[in-house]
Amino acid sequence: MDLNQSMRLLSSWIAQIGGLGLDLLWRFIHLVVSLWYIVSGIIEAVESYAISLGLNKKYSSINIEKLRCLAVVVDIEEARDVSKVIELLQWLRTIGVKQVGLFDSQGLLKKSKDLILGTVPGSVLSEEIGEKDSSPEQNPLALEFISSSDNKEAVMKAANILLQDYLKSSRPENDKGENFFTETHLNEALRVVGENVHAPDLLLVYGPIRSHLGFPAWRLRYTEIVHMGSLNYMRYGSLLKAIHKFTGVHQNYGT
Amino acid sequence: MLSLLSSLLSLLFVFLISCCIITNHFSFRPLSLLKLLGVIKFTASRDDDDHYKRDEGTYVVGEEELQRELMPRHVAVIMDGNRRWAKREGLLTSQGHEAGAKRLIEFSELCFKLGIHTVSAFAFSTENWGRHKIEVKCLMSLIQHYLKSKIQYFQREETRVSIIGNLTKIPESLRQTIHEIEEATKGYKKKHLILAIDYSGRLDILRACKSIVHKSETGLIREEDVDEAMIERELLTNCTEFSSPDLLIRTSGEQRISNFFLWQLAYTELFFSPVHWPDFDKGKLVEALVSYQRRERRFGCRV
Repeated sequence: MDLNQSMRLLSSWIAQIGGLGLDLLWRFIHLVVSLWYIVSGIIEAVESYAISLGLNKKYSSINIEKLRCLAVVVDIEEARDVSKVIELLQWLRTIGVKQVGLFDSQGLLKKSKDLILGTVPGSVLSEEIGEKDSSPEQNPLALEFISSSDNKEAVMKAANILLQDYLKSSRPENDKGENFFTETHLNEALRVVGENVHAPDLLLVYGPIRSHLGFPAWRLRYTEIVHMGSLNYMRYGSLLKAIHKFTGVHQNYGT
Repeated sequence: MLSLLSSLLSLLFVFLISCCIITNHFSFRPLSLLKLLGVIKFTASRDDDDHYKRDEGTYVVGEEELQRELMPRHVAVIMDGNRRWAKREGLLTSQGHEAGAKRLIEFSELCFKLGIHTVSAFAFSTENWGRHKIEVKCLMSLIQHYLKSKIQYFQREETRVSIIGNLTKIPESLRQTIHEIEEATKGYKKKHLILAIDYSGRLDILRACKSIVHKSETGLIREEDVDEAMIERELLTNCTEFSSPDLLIRTSGEQRISNFFLWQLAYTELFFSPVHWPDFDKGKLVEALVSYQRRERRFGCRV
């Protein structure tokens, strides 16, 4: 009996020590991972500041011509702080971006349109480009303000236009609309509704989640999508890095 | 002595957490635990296949905990990188696609085990017709072979299989196989695998518009009835209850959606993985799911 009790006691101690040992090992692993996380984060921050200061020659010259149209998606909570959006636009102008589409799902940036256009030097509405004979700015920054109403609602309106046109047109009885409902026709209908159908080359998403949050789907076919994190913690270096990375991307377009 | 050591480590842990909170100011992307812990297995009671339910609400896969109630209902995947994987491994392109097909079966099996209802995969895009004829022919044969050989498997697993896309250009034999597998599995409701073959997001939207036109001609709907919901019901994803994916995974490091599910992806969490599709194993899937479960999705509204 004593032997059995001793064995039981021994195995209980072994189990407790083993459990504690595993617990310590787990905490040690967390320690290592946390240190790694901190170090890599610091390296990333330092790299970003180095890029901002122009110390990294790799990012000193960017082939910005490849980026014809940039779109920025902003989470609605972060879109409330327009000053951050203005700062971002000023950075984009400095980099040499010529056309920017600003999107938030509820149209908050649309409501702040006048403030943004008045504060960002050289910015004009993209619809106004070409309307004026001579722009006072040599390199204006064309801005487009987009919201969710320009996504599915716009496609729905365009579909209605196509439907009305199709029903009014004279066509053969067995015509199923194969030649009537094409991408070109829907593009035209979207223009009639007042939408821009130009697809952005690069989409930067500022917000807590990696989603385009309802950006006009029709335009996103081959758009590069980059999640930039929170707008509150945006860095010039990260922006430059994202654009530089985009200029190196090669697309096969499925072929 | 042991408790003192444990307390010291706990204090150090708290200090490190504070450092993590401070460094969050620099908006770092969190390092994946799985990358570092890939070879270290935490010893715990486990079932076969290294994943099990810890309690009613969670799954533990490797070292990560996944909450059942936060699991996406529909996961979509763009299976990119078969050719690059084959080139890296010194194999033929066809072998790369074959490895990709095997990976899809494993991927969907794991997704269903984790409680995900619908898995959709971008198998062949409309733009892919522009590839070399031999590669296209090989892809069509591969798809046919896998669908035909897996009919019994899907029946055993009670998985419904649907194929969506413009199926007019694919070989007749493949079309027959598709009909066969869809008929054989149409009764299953708990798991749904959707393969997009010759699919284009833009053409899907256009096709929905055409379908609405035909309905209006027969008097089923009026012009003013056309709304977003109606267009959504006419899209090819109307075969599933959850037509909008909660999570989209794209492999091989490309960060775009390439004309896949354009309408449906409005509020989908996008996960871009740098690995090629044949290498996208269980660990990578869990990484994607953990990332998904950590996000706060508001669907465009203020919560």
